[in-house]
Amino acid sequence: MSTQVHATLSEDAVEQISEDLGEPEWLLETRREALAALDGLEMPDVIQTPGRKWTNLDALDYESLVDPLEYAQDKDRIDAEGVDVLSWSDALDEHGDLIEDHFGSVVDPQRDYLTALSTALFSAGTVVYVPEGVDAEDVKIRTTMNSRSLFNYTLVIAEDSASVTILERQTTGTDVDGDQYYSGVVEAVAGENAYVQYGTLQNLSDESYNYQVKRGHADTYGTVDWIEGNMGSRLTKSSVETRLLGDSSESKIVGAFFGHDDQHVDIAARVWHEAEHTVADLVTRGVLDDEARSVYEGVQDVGREAWDTSSYQRENTLMLSDDSEADASPKLIINNHDTEASHSATVGQVDAEEMFYMTSRGVDPEKAKNMLVEGFFVPVMEEVAVDELREDLDQLIYERLRE
Amino acid sequence: MSSDQDHLQETDTEARFEFKKEENSAFETEKGLTEETVRVISEDKDEPEWMLQRRLRALEQFQEMPMPTGWPAAPDLSEVDIADIVPYIRPDIETRGGAENWEDLPDEIQDTFDKLGIPEAEKNALSGVGAQYESEIVYQNMQEQWEEKGVIFCDMDKAVQEHEELVKEHFMTKCVPPSDNKFAALHGAVWSGGSFVYIPEDTTVNMPVQAYFRMNSEGMGQFEHTLIIAEDNSEVHYIEGCSAPKYSAFNLHSGGVEVFVGENAHVQYSTVQNWSKNTYNLNTKRAICEAEGTMEWVSGSMGSKATMLYPSTVLKGPGATDNHITIAMAGEGQDIDTGAKVYHNAPDTKSTIESKSISKDGGRTNYRGLVHIADGAEDSSTAVECDALMFDNESTSDTMPYMEIQESKVDVAHEATVGKIGDEDVFYLQSRGLDDDDAKQMIVAGFIEPITEELPIEYAVELNRLIELEMEGSLG
Repeated sequence: MSTQVHATLSEDAVEQISEDLGEPEWLLETRREALAALDGLEMPDVIQTPGRKWTNLDALDYESLVDPLEYAQDKDRIDAEGVDVLSWSDALDEHGDLIEDHFGSVVDPQRDYLTALSTALFSAGTVVYVPEGVDAEDVKIRTTMNSRSLFNYTLVIAEDSASVTILERQTTGTDVDGDQYYSGVVEAVAGENAYVQYGTLQNLSDESYNYQVKRGHADTYGTVDWIEGNMGSRLTKSSVETRLLGDSSESKIVGAFFGHDDQHVDIAARVWHEAEHTVADLVTRGVLDDEARSVYEGVQDVGREAWDTSSYQRENTLMLSDDSEADASPKLIINNHDTEASHSATVGQVDAEEMFYMTSRGVDPEKAKNMLVEGFFVPVMEEVAVDELREDLDQLIYERLRE
Repeated sequence: MSSDQDHLQETDTEARFEFKKEENSAFETEKGLTEETVRVISEDKDEPEWMLQRRLRALEQFQEMPMPTGWPAAPDLSEVDIADIVPYIRPDIETRGGAENWEDLPDEIQDTFDKLGIPEAEKNALSGVGAQYESEIVYQNMQEQWEEKGVIFCDMDKAVQEHEELVKEHFMTKCVPPSDNKFAALHGAVWSGGSFVYIPEDTTVNMPVQAYFRMNSEGMGQFEHTLIIAEDNSEVHYIEGCSAPKYSAFNLHSGGVEVFVGENAHVQYSTVQNWSKNTYNLNTKRAICEAEGTMEWVSGSMGSKATMLYPSTVLKGPGATDNHITIAMAGEGQDIDTGAKVYHNAPDTKSTIESKSISKDGGRTNYRGLVHIADGAEDSSTAVECDALMFDNESTSDTMPYMEIQESKVDVAHEATVGKIGDEDVFYLQSRGLDDDDAKQMIVAGFIEPITEELPIEYAVELNRLIELEMEGSLG
């Protein structure tokens, strides 16, 4: 891809990217505005109690890390019948108006500093367009990052009564000296009665910093489901969100993470119930080993007009090491009393009784522990409809346990 | 090292859940609350020099700290203008009392007392009119029984004079230092009245120690300080009864409660507060619990315009236990932001938090809690359970728990549910002849049973009656 020696974070760089992608003027303007807004924007929200931020996003000097024109990636897109899975250049050529309608409609381009940075600089990414009534299964996007920084932007448009399942894999390829930064924005629009399932398996290198925001809008009877698998990176800050805007819309957010060494995983799962008869289910399971740390925030926000809401959340963390740390804050914000809502969170270690049961039947303790950890993820795995994602995640957990 | 630093080290708070400490020029001016005011209070009470110095230092800290901000969905404190509030302190000190006559009380409060079926004499006492006399009698009777055992129970002002060493050692040093948060600092500067309870080693006080009348007797309960010291192997149940709606010239209540639970000691602190609906209730309550000690908090929050109150326990010694039972009810215009904090700083410590809330007529309740399990606090366990009941669509109920777990050999569980009052339950009761209001009241009574069964019968009855009054005629 394109290379320039002295690329800096400037309007020139933004214009260069835009030209490379063959963009229309409106998109370049959106980028320029995002770039100009950077100075006044804050870092993304993290859980904060007075005196402490649970995730320190300020530790990294993003601007020095960012090399907007120095982007290299391998991209592999597998489409399915009836669906367009396109690079940005192709997508802009073929569906320019459609993209103009939806771009930035779900994720505010100036939501925070890192999102604006991503909007201004994205050069990689995919547009998935599923026309009305089309059922598309197993769309796959594989992204391998081969540069210091990579800005990925994915737009999913599922028209009325369309359905699609997408699996995105994020890995790092060739070694790059020093820190790396991966930034991913995903916008998903589900029309009436449409179904979008978007699964991500993040397995970036341990030297990379990872920022992701994924957000979906679900129209009447629409569904947006997210699967959020996090294995890699040194620091991940990921927000996975759905606004249930249409009556009887639904969302499920399923998360799994396994932190080791000094990995820091900050996951926020948020759902806004903004219409009647909406249903949400948030399920996350995580394992922490060594000095890894997890921060989890789950928000179920039931709006004033969200009559007959059902909203559930469960978060469980398993700690394998005394040096690991887990922070959890599952929040309920309820403005309509016609609601059935519950949330729960647990933190603990491998159950001693279960260990005893296994070892007394001749399984050696290390193997017993591994089996129990794998078993711990099962309730989450069962929610993953994409076979390949489930198998890959399973494999990564298997490997991590035997490292 | 200062005692404040000791405290911070001991509790490992890192001010995580405390108010921020930053310079803010807005409060540097001696507007409203001045050094002069503090000196007058201290002189009025004929306090020793060290107490005056502590007050002055707290005042300094108060003036340096900004108003707490930055908490997600925190109650609006913008109306809390210290300049407006503090001038009320002096006249109150000088007159030593609330309203002069029963007739001077607001109709709303008179009405409530009538509905509670409280006799005339008691009404006067509860409202702060002539309570001094009543309370002296109450205390005297109890003291005889306890004095033989070495138990001390008196008001804080008296404790400063008569038990100076104990107070000097424990008062706002190790447990709630003024530096804890802005309103703890305010409290440290202008505190007045409150209870002092001292239980010697190996002593069990088998009837509840109640401070019910006395708080009103001074008419300045709004900055009352409660200091409870339970030595090793002792046991006491302290009840602070603010269960009557208080007539208050103040619109800010900023009390302080400090509890020291010795090794293998057991303290239960129960309170039912029902401040008038124009009151900002910003309290700091904390207990430090030594090895094998048990701390129990039972609290009902009914009144106030806005409450920010998170009773906290530092489980300092191995095997220490902490239990919280809280109930909050918010009606029209009320924002009850309350919860619990527990610091597990030693192995084998246990805690449970059971929180119930009811919101109606546009009121907001929030459970805001923190469970911290420090590195090394192995084999600790905690269970948090929050249930919210909502009556209507104008009300709001939030749950914001925070859990910080630094130790793997632990068992942590949090659960919360929210639901409307069940149509089926109401139908069931109605079909058996109850009218709609009665049916809902009965459901609420069942909902709050875990707290009422922890209270002595007269408090339980009163709490139920208060909730009935709050609900009366307001149900759809």
